[in-house]
Amino acid sequence: MNDNELLSWLEKAKLGDESAFQLVYQATHQDVYRTVAFLVYNKQDIEDIVNEVYMSMWRTFHTYDPNRPFRFWLHGITVRLVQDWKRKTWRRIRLFERNRRMTCEHFDWTDKAVQQFEMQHELFSLVRQLLYKLRVVVILRYFHDYALEEIADILQIPVGTVKSRHHLAMKELRKRIEMTGGDAYVH
Amino acid sequence: MSIEKELREELRQVADSMQCPPELYGRVRQSYHQYANDKRGRSPMKKRVLAGIAAIAILIPSAVFASSYLADDLFGSVSTIEQHGGTQEDYQEIEGMLQAAKGKLNEDEFKEYQVLIKQLIQLKLKITDEKGVKHEEKLTQEEQQRFEQLASKLAPYFEKINKNANP
Repeated sequence: MNDNELLSWLEKAKLGDESAFQLVYQATHQDVYRTVAFLVYNKQDIEDIVNEVYMSMWRTFHTYDPNRPFRFWLHGITVRLVQDWKRKTWRRIRLFERNRRMTCEHFDWTDKAVQQFEMQHELFSLVRQLLYKLRVVVILRYFHDYALEEIADILQIPVGTVKSRHHLAMKELRKRIEMTGGDAYVH
Repeated sequence: MSIEKELREELRQVADSMQCPPELYGRVRQSYHQYANDKRGRSPMKKRVLAGIAAIAILIPSAVFASSYLADDLFGSVSTIEQHGGTQEDYQEIEGMLQAAKGKLNEDEFKEYQVLIKQLIQLKLKITDEKGVKHEEKLTQEEQQRFEQLASKLAPYFEKINKNANP
């Protein structure tokens, strides 16, 4: 997607131009959806958050820094909303219920395609089991190809913290691979 | 293959298989419409607020100048009429009446009218207690005569003012 084009659409959409809104959606929805789906597993929650991301796009457009790539801003919004959502669920003490659901109907709610991939892609299934704090770093690093400094910016945490989380995540992944008997990734 | 490379590969493949459900578009679009409508709804509101501010900005200085009320000449201030059971609205009404008189009468006539009405009001205030009840027995014989005199002198003026007001 071309940043300049996208920005002019976004500006028009903000003023109420529906066709511009459609263009923005077409250009971004897969990326937003996939990013959220890597971080949150409940289908309903994913859709809620994607919807929120678009609402937030119109509302916070004035905070966009034109010196940075559009996707950086977009991923910032997306990750922030995922985090907000996690905080909110914590506050509502849905955690207890969620834990129960997770043990009872383990993975029942995941995308069928994702399940299939989990079976075929062992490494991905291990990523899904990582703690959120570690997983978000892995996704931003290896799915979106951000540098650790950029990840620190998106997550609004110090670079040192990102580095240690990245390190921990990789260590965890290697350990689990060894546990499952794989020896393909030794270093 | 390094774990990093493998990670990239797998995430890419999995992402390609994750399709944003098409029905989500309808929902986001609805939210967008709501946003756009809210925005449109807000802008006349903003205009109204601005108009309100402009009105206040005009009213404040005019209120300062308007302290030269014609009625103030008769009563001193609004508190005089309030002591006799009148209200701010009564005061405004009297002011309106005086303004109408000023517009309808020529300068000399208005001066005369003002003197007469001032005397009449002095008498009226005298017989009116703080609850607005009239006690005509409070007037002396002389004052009562004066009252009637004033009323008859003012009558042609009232006629003139009212006639012009309702032609």
